[in-house]
Amino acid sequence: MSAVAIALIGAGLVAAGFPRRATDGVERAYRAAAAVALGTGAWSATYAAWRLAFGEAGAAKDICLAVVGVALLFGCRRRKTEEALPRHEPAPRWLWAVFALACAVAAAAFVEHTFRFPDGGWDAWMIWNLRARFLVRAADFRSAFSPELSFLAHQDYPWLLPGAVAQALGQLGESRVVPAAVAAVFGILTVAVVALAIARELGARWGLLGGLAVATLPCFATFASNQQSDVPLAAFLAIAAALVASARSRRELALAGFAAGLGIWTKNEGLLYAICLGVAFLWRRRDPRGALAFAAGALPCAALLVWFKLGVAPPNDLAAFSTAGSLAANAIDPLRWGELALLTLRRVVYFQDFALWVLAQTLLLWVFVRKQPASVLGTALFLACAAYGPIYALQPHRLDWIFRTSADRILIQIWPTAVLATIAALAKAVVRPSQGSPRFSQVPGSPPV
Amino acid sequence: MSVRRVTAAIVALAAVGMVRIVWLHFASEPAHEPRRMPIDQHYQALRSLVHGAEAGYVSDLPAAVRLGEDPATRGTRMYLQAQFALAPVVLRYDDAQATVVIASVADPAGLAELLRQRSLELVAEAGPGLALARPR
Repeated sequence: MSAVAIALIGAGLVAAGFPRRATDGVERAYRAAAAVALGTGAWSATYAAWRLAFGEAGAAKDICLAVVGVALLFGCRRRKTEEALPRHEPAPRWLWAVFALACAVAAAAFVEHTFRFPDGGWDAWMIWNLRARFLVRAADFRSAFSPELSFLAHQDYPWLLPGAVAQALGQLGESRVVPAAVAAVFGILTVAVVALAIARELGARWGLLGGLAVATLPCFATFASNQQSDVPLAAFLAIAAALVASARSRRELALAGFAAGLGIWTKNEGLLYAICLGVAFLWRRRDPRGALAFAAGALPCAALLVWFKLGVAPPNDLAAFSTAGSLAANAIDPLRWGELALLTLRRVVYFQDFALWVLAQTLLLWVFVRKQPASVLGTALFLACAAYGPIYALQPHRLDWIFRTSADRILIQIWPTAVLATIAALAKAVVRPSQGSPRFSQVPGSPPV
Repeated sequence: MSVRRVTAAIVALAAVGMVRIVWLHFASEPAHEPRRMPIDQHYQALRSLVHGAEAGYVSDLPAAVRLGEDPATRGTRMYLQAQFALAPVVLRYDDAQATVVIASVADPAGLAELLRQRSLELVAEAGPGLALARPR
């Protein structure tokens, strides 16, 4: 029943979000990937809402979800076909081969890492799968958020991933394969969403290049196999970003908001990204109604987060351990800001996790992207990165420890969206006049930055 | 800037990334990083003995429980792994007065001494360095 519910609600959401029929295979594949991700996210978010409201979540929840999915499918039947986009240069065969090789290498690394670390990364068993076990085993689900647990279990974190894993564990039986399989699904979806979102707008060549940039970031496969929430958050953020950048209707913006909302329910950082996307859209597009549609889409999961935070969750450790005095002292400590700048610069050349990707991206930003017209995605990413400065500087923990344990995760969360934004800028710069201007991530008439 | 040059540059970056992935996962890690045993295996016997909503947890190694303490210590890992394996029992750190108490020691030879120090009585041993105890 759960698989049916995921499929129907995912298909229903996509039917509601895209007012026109898909024209080709790439568009259909993109919508299918989005449907699986959004369907899985909605399935988990509904589970959380059901448990917060009634304590238990059984088959009735999945039946309701499936009924809503069917209603959306029938209520939003598409009559018009998507307008044909300009034909793009196809990808050469050797590029397909390189992409296939990259996916095979990433998949092999995922499998190897999963065998080497059968319980996932440290955070998987300390936070995410611990929470899933409480949700599936405890008589009272609130014990998953007990203040008696270690503060390192981060009981205040939203629980989209634990909700999905807990439901799968409950239905398939407790096995280490279950969280690993969920992690694999989100890893595949992240690469697929980026590659297909670019390919539908700019052609297969650019789509494959975007997919390569995600799949061959060395720490991507590792993070995917770590069974943590960073890759799922990256997937939802990438869907939201791709939809915002290419939206031709407010329904797509509402769907983008819904995807961003699922990011909010995946990890605390998701709230920052949703706000940054919304603000960047309003800033660059000057479309308050569109921004309202985005916010309306994000509202259900934002409300779920507020419900959880006010009703069940203990205080966040950053807030619990902070005082007005510590915040002020950290804010005016020049050594702390200097240390943060140094740590950030060193991370750019962190070959072990990023190979040369982040260094190349930084150089590209410096010499090329900053001279291009401002885009919604570029602005959103800039706002998010700017917000992390004071977050890191003001938080109460030792700066080098928290930076070392979180910076790569933040990079993984935003990397697919950074790839979407960068590929769009590159494609625009090299596009031939006969091909017309791609619409992806462009802001007509916006001034250069 | 041509399409071919951009394609070549991105493929070159991808090639470097792939080489790094292959080196890490299929050369470096197999040589230097031993394969981890599933956490549940260590706590299998204990899990069948512990029931109820809460239990105390004592150890010969300290765990990080407040700001400023190193969360990467072995004592912290032992506590958090026990919590993961025994969920949904909430392990109250350093509580030797609970009805049931989990004793977990890094040095199995020190188990009896730990129980004596914390005024605990052994209920059952559940593997090397692991025991179920109760207050005397």
